[in-house]
Amino acid sequence: MAQTDHPDDPIATLEDVSVTYDDGTSFVLDGVSLHVERGEILGIVGESGSGKSMLASSLLDAVPDPGYLSGSITYRSDDETIDVLELGQSELRSLRWEEISMVFQGAMSSFNPTMRIRDHFIETIDAHDGNVQAGMDRARQLLADLYLDPDRVLESFPHELSGGMQQRALIALSLVLDPELLVMDEPTAALDLLMQQSILLLLRELQEKYELTMIFITHDLALVGALADRLAVMYAFDIVELAPKQQLLSNPSHPYTRALLNSTPNLQAPLAQMRPIEGQSPAPINVPSGCSYNPRCPLATEECRTTDPPMDAPAPEHSVACFYWEKAQYEIELNYATEQSGGDYS
Amino acid sequence: MSEDPPLLELDTVSVTFENRPGLFEFGDEAEQVRAVDDVSLTIESNDVVSLVGESGCGKTTLGKTAIGLQRPTSGTVRFRGEDIWAIRDGSTETTQSWADVRASLQIIHQDPGSSLNPNRRLLSILSEPLRQVRPTLGASERRERIYSLLERVGMNPAPDFADRYPHQLSGGEQQRVALARALLMNPDVILADEAISALDVSLRVEMMDLMLELQSVFDTSFIFISHDLSNARYFTQHANGKIAVMYLGRIAEISSAEQLIHNPQHPYTSVLRWATPDLGADVSTPEAIPMRTIDVPDPVDPPSGCRFHTRCPEAREHCTAVEPDPLPAGGADVRCFRVRDGSPYWNSPPLDEEESSSS
Repeated sequence: MAQTDHPDDPIATLEDVSVTYDDGTSFVLDGVSLHVERGEILGIVGESGSGKSMLASSLLDAVPDPGYLSGSITYRSDDETIDVLELGQSELRSLRWEEISMVFQGAMSSFNPTMRIRDHFIETIDAHDGNVQAGMDRARQLLADLYLDPDRVLESFPHELSGGMQQRALIALSLVLDPELLVMDEPTAALDLLMQQSILLLLRELQEKYELTMIFITHDLALVGALADRLAVMYAFDIVELAPKQQLLSNPSHPYTRALLNSTPNLQAPLAQMRPIEGQSPAPINVPSGCSYNPRCPLATEECRTTDPPMDAPAPEHSVACFYWEKAQYEIELNYATEQSGGDYS
Repeated sequence: MSEDPPLLELDTVSVTFENRPGLFEFGDEAEQVRAVDDVSLTIESNDVVSLVGESGCGKTTLGKTAIGLQRPTSGTVRFRGEDIWAIRDGSTETTQSWADVRASLQIIHQDPGSSLNPNRRLLSILSEPLRQVRPTLGASERRERIYSLLERVGMNPAPDFADRYPHQLSGGEQQRVALARALLMNPDVILADEAISALDVSLRVEMMDLMLELQSVFDTSFIFISHDLSNARYFTQHANGKIAVMYLGRIAEISSAEQLIHNPQHPYTSVLRWATPDLGADVSTPEAIPMRTIDVPDPVDPPSGCRFHTRCPEAREHCTAVEPDPLPAGGADVRCFRVRDGSPYWNSPPLDEEESSSS
């Protein structure tokens, strides 16, 4: 496992980050705090409209207008600490791609359809005043690492490649300027499952080879579960649970996390025990008071309706925003077998 | 037996697409892609047949051929025992009308947003098909039927939803409308083409449950297309149907969901099984990709012998020369030599470990 050598070496730190599109009455990101450790793969899981993509955009101060971003985001490269929200346009420009790079869903809309793949690489290197010769050597190496034939792919137009090849070429492009942190927002969502799994495996190899830090954002917990070192679960614009992968999957402690796991189609689970989550996720304009999950939660009490639960720690490095996580561990059964049963530490 | 013919029957169906050379590429031969190659398949009433496979394996083309949206290049598609393309062409030997066949075979698309007219309210979107099949129905009766169907697919209160535009619905609700629209025609078969793939993982079980519930109410069969084995298993096993695994236009393996998941016979089925994430047993990072190359070969020029041999971890020399026929094995039909003990495959040398080239 590529767990970090320096557990207290965060590459990025978010503190109380919020995004609002009106004057602060409703939030599409609601006070998120998060450390990203250098060298880890962090999976961020949430349903549509939970704010996960907004979190990714915030990291690069790239929230779409007229959103207003507040809080603090610091990025630490080897020797300096950068306050992302204080950067000017040109500094921000070099932070993006050279330090933090991003890959979005749907490669087809990230590539210019009239340009060959080669020209995308050259343009990117040029725009950041890189050495084109050295940069293209690196590009070829990256493409080969992703099981693509560099000569063929570089000469191709985007539409001449299959969806899986396009997405891999896009990942290579995002890494051509040797960034430290790669943020991926649903990078495999439009692809078939076999290609998704293959790309996950390649990402793990790239992470080790180039000592990258990765943030992988998806709605598919089962998929990212195989790749990530740590998993964060988002609900209603905030993180409700965060833990090392193994811990989160064997001892999920937030009622929402447990319901989410039970609703995931899964080859192991008996058919009758897969069930959907009752109710709907809230929209930004009517987030319930107290715990945002309380209207859907089987364990909710009066306390949950009035008070927003603070983060509690069921185990070291495991945090959960729920008053009743102990109860959740034994009252909400999981439909798949776990190695440990819930609550065997205290 | 003098039983009724199967509801829908595909008999050695092939579909070939031709890529004609462009204006400036004279001299080039027209490229042919056999999207579906010699497939036979039967769908009974109240049945579920799932088609799984990678992008470009021909599952959508096969599905569309089955419901008469795509004319096969060769082979026949029979609905209640009659060739649907003979009906289409007005053959005198057929008893059914093309309009009835069309109404009986419906489709739900992957992207519900783009299959609903953004400029019209749900009531008007759903009235259109009813006007076509039941022209005698009055406006108020039509509205009643639409409301009751919207309630059936879980959209309450129906009058409120019927008054909305598609963009005012969530993805899951849009897909329910698409399902309701298909059901208005009272169809015998619905092709659900990746109908749940665009939904959040957490909403998929709910949508599949709804489809299964309506299946028993409306007595409908489903052809369920998915690239996700766990979804196909959930849907198929509940309905006691079959899963067909497709690879480059052919069915590599077809059997019950239970058998396919727990005892896959074809090496390609095992690869798909590998690609399906498990939550329980083993959440560790998976090892190497269990295939010799990542990308699917060019369908214009499919590999000789067994089409999977260029990627198959078990391939031997024999596989490059001879194409396996479907063989029955433990309740499944499998296109692989490995299910027969006496096959020349076992005496054939393994393929050299080629460099894992990309293309």
